Order: sequence, then C-alpha cells, then structure tokens
Amino acid sequence: MWRMVLKRIALGLFLLWVVSLAIFALTQVLPGDAAEIRLGQEATPETLAALRRELGLDQPAYVQYGLWLQQLLTGDLGQSVAGGASIASLIDYRIGNTLFLAAMVTVIAVPLSVALGLVAAMRPGGPVDRGVTVATLGLVAVPDFLVAVVLILVLSVSLGWFPAVSYLSGSESLWKALHTLALPIFTLITVVASQMTRMTRAGVLNVLNSAYIEMAIIKGVPRRRIILRHALPNAIGPIVNVVALNLAYLVGGVVVVETIFAYPGLAKLMVDGVQNRDMPVVQACAMIFCSTYILLILIADVATILSNPRLRMPK
Amino acid sequence: MRHHNRSLDEILRPSDSAKIESALRGGATRRELLTMLMAAGASAGLAGTMITSAKEVLAATPKRGGEIRFAWSQHGPSDTFDPILATNSIDYARTRLTFNNLTRFNEDLTVRPELAEEYSANADATEWTFKLRPGVTFHDGSPLRAEDVVYSMSRHLGAESKSKAKVLFGDVKEWVKVDGSTVRAVLNAPNAELPVILATFHFKVAKEGAEDFSQPVGTGPFVVDEFVPGVRSLHSRFDDYWVSGQPYLDRIEVFGITDPVARVNALLSGDIQMAGNVAPQYYEQVENTEGLELFVVNSGACNDINIRLDMEPGKNPDFVLAMKYLERRDRVLQVIQKGRGSIGNDCAVGPAYGADYCKEVPIRPYDPDKAKFHLQKSGVTSAQLDFAEVATGLTDMCLMLQRECAKIGFDLKLNRVPGDGYWSTTWLKAPMHVGSWNMRPSANIMMTIAYQSDAPWNESHWKNERFDKLLKEARAELDPAKRYEMNCEMQKMVSDEAGTLIPTHTAYSDAKISKLQGYPRVPLGPFGAMEWPDTAWLKD
Amino acid sequence: MSAAAPDDGRGPETFGELDDAPPRRRLRLGLAGKVSLAIIAFWLAMALVGPWIAPYHEADFIEEDAEGNYYLDPSFLPPNAENWLGTDYIGRDVLSRILWGARTTIGIALAGTLLAYLIGITAGIAAAVAGGWPDGLMSRMNEVVLAFPSIMLGLIVIAAFGSSIPLLILLAGLVYSAAVFRIARALGQDIMVQDFVEAARARGEGRWWIIRREILPSAMIPLATDFGLRLIFIVLFISSLSFLGLGVQPPTADWGSMVRENLPGLGAGFSGGALASLAPALAIGSLTIAINLVVDDISAHTGGRLAGKML
Repeated sequence: MWRMVLKRIALGLFLLWVVSLAIFALTQVLPGDAAEIRLGQEATPETLAALRRELGLDQPAYVQYGLWLQQLLTGDLGQSVAGGASIASLIDYRIGNTLFLAAMVTVIAVPLSVALGLVAAMRPGGPVDRGVTVATLGLVAVPDFLVAVVLILVLSVSLGWFPAVSYLSGSESLWKALHTLALPIFTLITVVASQMTRMTRAGVLNVLNSAYIEMAIIKGVPRRRIILRHALPNAIGPIVNVVALNLAYLVGGVVVVETIFAYPGLAKLMVDGVQNRDMPVVQACAMIFCSTYILLILIADVATILSNPRLRMPK
Repeated sequence: MRHHNRSLDEILRPSDSAKIESALRGGATRRELLTMLMAAGASAGLAGTMITSAKEVLAATPKRGGEIRFAWSQHGPSDTFDPILATNSIDYARTRLTFNNLTRFNEDLTVRPELAEEYSANADATEWTFKLRPGVTFHDGSPLRAEDVVYSMSRHLGAESKSKAKVLFGDVKEWVKVDGSTVRAVLNAPNAELPVILATFHFKVAKEGAEDFSQPVGTGPFVVDEFVPGVRSLHSRFDDYWVSGQPYLDRIEVFGITDPVARVNALLSGDIQMAGNVAPQYYEQVENTEGLELFVVNSGACNDINIRLDMEPGKNPDFVLAMKYLERRDRVLQVIQKGRGSIGNDCAVGPAYGADYCKEVPIRPYDPDKAKFHLQKSGVTSAQLDFAEVATGLTDMCLMLQRECAKIGFDLKLNRVPGDGYWSTTWLKAPMHVGSWNMRPSANIMMTIAYQSDAPWNESHWKNERFDKLLKEARAELDPAKRYEMNCEMQKMVSDEAGTLIPTHTAYSDAKISKLQGYPRVPLGPFGAMEWPDTAWLKD
Repeated sequence: MSAAAPDDGRGPETFGELDDAPPRRRLRLGLAGKVSLAIIAFWLAMALVGPWIAPYHEADFIEEDAEGNYYLDPSFLPPNAENWLGTDYIGRDVLSRILWGARTTIGIALAGTLLAYLIGITAGIAAAVAGGWPDGLMSRMNEVVLAFPSIMLGLIVIAAFGSSIPLLILLAGLVYSAAVFRIARALGQDIMVQDFVEAARARGEGRWWIIRREILPSAMIPLATDFGLRLIFIVLFISSLSFLGLGVQPPTADWGSMVRENLPGLGAGFSGGALASLAPALAIGSLTIAINLVVDDISAHTGGRLAGKML
C-alpha cells in the first residue's frame, strides 16, 4: 500500500502541473488583462502600455507561464499583479482562516451526519428516517446565502447574540473565535451535513442488502450490532468519499459564506484573482485547492481499501 | 468650542468673524453673506471659501475620541495606498485618511488651500506657483519639503507613468522646486482649473522616493497601523497633524463587505458604523432604524445606455429617437432609485451642476406612440444591448427599456456580459452598451470628456463641429449670462442628437450611525467624496 | 480492451443467478411517496404550462393596482388581489416569476443532471470494470475536474464565454459528472468483488452482462439517492453563480436568482418583501424534498428488501 501512496503522490504532482496548465489556458481566454481591469474606465493606450510593461504582461504568454513555473519551483509564489503584494503574504493571512473554519465545520458536521445517517438507516421509511430526511433536505435545498442572511437577521440583528461580520485578529481564545464564527459555521453545516447524512444512510442501506448481513439477521444478531459492526465498516468506502469531497468544498468553494460574513479566506481571494485577471493569485489558490483535494482523496482511498478486505488483496 | 472660534479667526479678522457668526446663526443666506464679505474687501472666491469654512465650523461642536469601522462595497488584493493607482472608493478613503492634497474641495466644488498655503498663476495661467504650508510633518516625523511635492506630482507625468489620472495632467509640462517651500507647475497650455484638478483623488502628496505603499507614510490625519489588501486597514489618530485639534476620532478600521445585503445587516447589527453604497431597496429600512441615517448626496453622476451613431442600428436617427421616447424617467427615479437623484434629459449635465445646468431644455416625455412611429420609420427590426452591472441599477434600467420595447412590439435583446473586463471589451465598442459617469467639477469638463467629437470616451461616437466650437468658447467666456446661453445650446444639442440615453441622475447613498457627524457633502463621490476623515466625530 | 464489451451472444444461461443477486425492481409507494410524487408532477406540469397560466409575463412591471390606481413604487408589495405573492424588488409579480421560473430552473437542473449521469455513470462503471490503465487514465482526468472547486470553474468559464442557458447546462453537467464518476466507480469496484459478481464471472458471463444485470441494479440505490441530491445541487450551483452575478440572464426568472435578488426584502418582514425571496426558496425546497422522498421510497420498497425484514 505504501507503494500505492507514493505513486499517488507522484501522480498528484503531475495532476497539479496539468491543472496549472489548464488554468493558464483558461485565463488566456478571459477578456481583458490585469492592466485593463486595473485601469478600468480610465485606461488610455499609454497608461495601459506602461502598466503592462511594469507587470510583465507585455511578454508572450508562454514566457509568462515559464517564469511563473520557474519561480514556483524555487518556492516563490510571486507577486499579485493586481496589487503588487507578495502572494505568500496574501495567502498566509487567509489560509489559516480557511482551515480553521473548515476544521470547525468538519468537527461538528461529520459525526453529526454519520450519526443521523445511521439512525435513519436503522428503520428506513420510519418516522425517524422521514424526519431526518425532510429536515436535512429542507436545509440543503435552501441556497446558502439565504440561510446566512436569515441567521444574521435573527441571531445578529434581532437578538444580538453573534456578530454579523466574522473577523478574527488571530489573538482571541478558541471560545471567542468560535463565537465570532458561529454564523458561518452554522451556515456551512447546513450545506455539508445533509449530503453526508444522505450518503451515509444510502451506503448503510446498500450494505444491509448483502448476503452476509442476511446471514447475520438469520443468526439473530441484534440490529444495532449489525449496523455498527457489519454494515457501517462496509459502507465506509462511499461515506469517506463524500466526506472528502465535502471537505474539499469547505476549503475552496465557500465563496458565498466568505463574502457575506466578510471573512477573509482563500475562496474569495481566488474570485478576486479571476476578476482582476491576477494570474499568479489564481494559480496559487488553484494549487492549494488541488493539493488539498488530492490529499483528501488519497486518504479516502486508503480508508476505502483498509475497510474492504477484498480490495486489500490485489486481484 | 474655543478652538473653533480660533480656527474661524484664522480665516477672518476677529470683527468679521463675529459678524459672520451672528449672521450665520441668524440664518443669513449665502448670497447675503457673500455681499457682506465682498463689501469687506474679500474676492468672490475667498468669500465663498470663508462662508463654507465658517458653516462647517459652526455646524456642530466636535469632540475627541471614539473608534469606528467603515465597510465599503469593494475590496480585494488590488487594494492600494498608492495615490496614483487608487481605483475605487475604499482606496480614496484610505488615501484621504493618510495623505493630503495641495488643495481641497468645498461642498460647492470650489477649492481651498490644503498643503499649499497659497497659490497663484501667472497672467496667462501657464505657470502655477504653490507656497507650501509650514510646520507640516509626515507620520515618520520628517517635515514636508518641496521635493516631496515635486516627486509626488511628477509621478503623473511622462510616458512611463501608470497614473490613473494622467489625462488630467495633459497640460502639465513639469513640476519644479523654486525654493525649500515653494513649487511651481509649468504648463504647455493655459489651464485655469489646475487647483481644482489638484483637489481630486489621485493628487495626494507622499514622500520623495516613495514607491512601496504597503506601509504608507503621509501627512494626513491618520497613521496606518496595519494594512492587508483585501482584508482590512487600521488607522489611528496622528497626534502631530497640522490642523490643530483635528482629527477627532481615535481609530478607524476600513474594510470591505462586498455583499450589499450583508453590508446593511452589519450596520443594523452594530458591527460597523459606516456602510458605503447602500442599495435603494434598503433606504426605508435604514431610515426607519433608530440611530442610523442615510447619507445621500444628490450628484450629477449618471448611468446611461448608449447607442453608437456610427454603426447599425444607431446610424438611423429615428431608431435613436424611438429609444429616447421609451425612457420611463419617472419610473427609473421612483422604482430603481427610490426617488433619490433627479430626472435626466439624455445629457450628463444635470441639476446638480447648479448654474451650469440649463433649466430651459424641455425634458423629453415618455411617448410610446411617437416611439412606435419613429421605429417603424427607421425600419429597424432588432437590436442587441450589451450590458453589465458595472454600476448599481444599470441592469434594472436595461430591463425597463427592454419591457417598453416589448410593449410596442420591438424585440430588444439583452446580452449580459461579464462585469470584470467590461470597460475594456464592451464599453464604447458594442453597437449598444451601458456606461456610468461620476460627477465632474464643472459642466464644461464633463462635456469635454463625454461629448467632444474626438474625446476617447465619446460613448455614442457623436460628432458635431458646432458643439466643439461652443465648448472651447465657453471655457474662455467670463460673462455668466453668455456662458449660460452657450451651456444651454450645448446641452440641448447633446440631448437631441447624441446617442446617450440618460433617464436620471443618481445620488450617492451611504449610511452611518447618526452619532457620527462632521461629514462634508462634496458631490464628487460616495460619502461626500471621502472628505470626512479630518472632521468626522462621534457624538455621545 | 473495451470497457463495455458486447454480450458474447452465448445461448441460454446454464447456471441460475445466485440468491444474493439484487431482486427485480417493482415500484410501490407509501403515502409520503405519493404526496411527493404529486408535488413533482405539479412542478413538472408548471414547467410545461407555467408561462401560459401565469397572470403576468416574467419581465412585466406592475404599474397599477386592481382599481387602476398608479403605484408610485410597486416594488416589494405585500400579497394582494392582483399579486397573490406580492411583487419583487423591482415591481414584478412574484407568482408569475415562480411559474415562469419552473421551466428554467427544472429544465436546467434536469438537463444538467442527466448529462452528468450520462457521462459519469458510463465512465465510472467502465473504469471499474476495465481496471488497469484505462481506469487510471479516466480517474486522473476526472480528478483534474474534481480537484478544482466547481464555483471557480464556473466563474472562469462564464467570465470567458458569457452566461447562457446551454453553457450553464453544459457546465453543470461537466462539473457534476466528475462526482458521479467517483461514486459510480467506487460502487462498481465494491460490487465487482462481491460474490454474485464473482459467481457471474465464474459462470463465464460477458462484461456487458455483468454490468447490465449485476452492477447497475446494485449501484442503483446509492446512485438514485445521489441523483435526487445532484438535481438540487445544480439548482444551488446556478444560484451560487447568480450570487456572483453569473447565473441565468435577466429578465429570465429562475428560482435561485429570485431568492438572491430579493434578499433585501427579507429584513422588511412579510408585509414588506420577505415573500419575494422566501416563496422561490419554498419552491426549491418542496421540489427537493419531494424528489428525494420518492427516491427513498423506491429504495425502501425494492432494494431495501432485507431492511424491511428487519423491522
């Protein structure tokens, strides 16, 4: 298995390179460049030329990409074309925020949804199952910005319990930080928990249909034990996959929550990067999102293999 | 109270000061005060300045202390403190907190001295000399020198300059140091408006040699403690600020909440004290909330829909006229702008331009029958309008026009293009596109950039020799009556012939807690063109 | 070696299927399932006829009340005789826009999901069955799409090509096919090592037979569960894009953008404009819950044979 892991890491690096190429190609298709966006309505041919020269945008595309790659290989992420700040500093500030929020949501949402999924799977079609299904679906069906705004209106504007803006200075206690981030955490739990709950339920139900479970039932093994000892371990493969995908989303896809709560994170940085045609920023964010994803999926795959004895032995 | 009287005394002789103060308190009109001051020997310009300053001084009794948080509607990695690259209002606010200009706007768009204690032009206005205010220090303790001014101003000059306001320095040849406290601008052509230009956003004075603005050093009222682009900036009171007693606030945090809903909610929940760019749908809610107030400044700014006259379908004057007859000016004003702003007449010069605005040009009414008639006459059967929400309300304006077209059986296709990149890819280029104008200090400047035949920003590509000639003549005309007449003729021409649909003029609408006071209402940008940092203060 | 080798055309089966092979499917619904089916039918009907029965055009601005009095400002009107659900932020009839929006919203979601499933299941199961380097290649290609947050991909693609409904469908289909691929492949692999498949293989069944008769039916429940969610994810994906100003072009109504554009009304309560935002959210919610309850019923009554025994 360790060989597999090493191979996957090598493949991951290759994947990163492909993604960086794809992004570069896509950013070349975008109308306008960083200089035009920057100067906006006030652009004149002379100022455009001057700014392009300064930003290195007057170079051919492949040279720009080559320079970026060269810098990256020496560990330098480069500088933001839009503002001139070093990308390392832009990211440094936000990556902690992003990971902290993702971690808090995960710590609450994963156990919650696996538990809910199991409870629902014990009696499919029963009142508990129906209740869990309707509640989780009802929440997942609401666009995240609506959840966020309703939470702000009720818990922040009306009741004043939590702040409407989530800003962490980095020096507060964990408890204070959780208080500040309460609303974005709630919002994101509603987004990710329902899918994980649903897939846990489906995965467990699926396993319940197999012969060895039938055998266990015939042998009179208690239902709780069947689900926890037999069904759950075998349903782990699909479940960890869904969990991994949701975690990847929490790192790179939470732009709505970051925007509404003015929480400086990586997703918003990337959106700004695209809108400013700030290629180095876009690339840096993409590399982080992709690495996260590759790592999470690797973990998920290892977990799947470990959980299914038959997969442990190569055919 | 004492130091306010003192600052009033700085402007006026004590006897005049007392007279003006009592006149102001007695509710004298501006005209009466002007007459009074000019009788005392002040020039018209100086008198105007005196009254404005006196009014500001008397408006309230500021008090020291307090911390506020200000959220603007945009921010990102491109946030900058570099004055020549400042792009949007968050940059303008931050640079205003940190730096000073040579001159500064009053509410009526006249200017007063700021870092330049006094200034004068030679006879033909080709050389302007600025005497610098003594005793001004930078945040690092070093004194302001002529070299700093020459360096800062020269950054707008030359082919290599990336200044966003370079075009305003088109007439400037060079800036030179005369002596330790005097600088001079040498121009290629006469320009009587240089002091006005110097009061605009980009002409801030930084230290000689400053290129890295990640830790900016200025002479302004607040010192930058922390700045992370796209996250926030923290500013604290500069104790050695050259205006005695100012600023009043201790600390200001500036950041962005890009979502309009979230921004207002943050204000409602008390997380912020100033919210920029409040959407019209929120006016009522903000006004009905105790302790909050809208800060609305009517301006000459406008959003427009442009039809290029040099391409189909705009080549056909009947088509353009038909579109103009379909404008629901009152609906745009009432429904989209919630009544804030004013009715437009297809010309970028609106009522906010005061004496420059021609009241005699009749406003073209909404008339679907005439529109139908002209449309049929034009023979145009379809058209496409390219738009992006580059200014609040533009999308809705296009939707209204489209619906009016549909009512008379014409299919106006709306094509929404990405907002980022809009200015470089679509604006001025598509046969029909949208635009947005900020207010300029005078009607002549406005019309020169927007309608002169060879102006690069002539949105409808309208060309008229007579108009160009009038524009030049009006610039030199000193008789107000004649100037008004010329202005009228020009505005009527634009309204009738240019391909720009301007149903309304907009208002800058921001919101703050009512306790925050001392905000000048300069109509050149949001939050009174961000002229508040020196004078804003927090009431108990 | 092709992933989907055709049936080798052998004669009648010589061995019967093992008992653990999935049962034949029959559709039986409980009460909740029937109600849900009615809701789905209702929305599908609205998607077909909504624009004809809507009192106003989706782009119409309300100008007068029932008595012909001119509204100074018709935006965020509370429900009234003319506008049963009130009006939106700019004075358009909310009910009409929901009815018009049914077609856009359901159309995009359905087309996008079907496209995602078509690509995802085909490729996923093919990869699981084929194994080896074709599996590796497909998985790597898939990961390029997956590794990139979908909203970012949408942002870049739309910024480059402009927003149109076909592009949105294509984008949603592509983005979500990657997730479907992973699930389909994981399930396929799981099933490939189970007894009944191994038995079928031992019987010498062809690949295609195994896929059609063993893998697809076994993978159906998790995939169907995912389908119900996927559909809604596309609705939400489009609404997230409209949050960034990149969704369906105005004045075309779609439920997600309606929620978004009317958010300012929420704070004003039900006498103000709250309904303009909540009503389309309710439409999304009812459709989501209905679809997923039906999916549950199908799994409970057919695949959940043993689970049923346990009760």
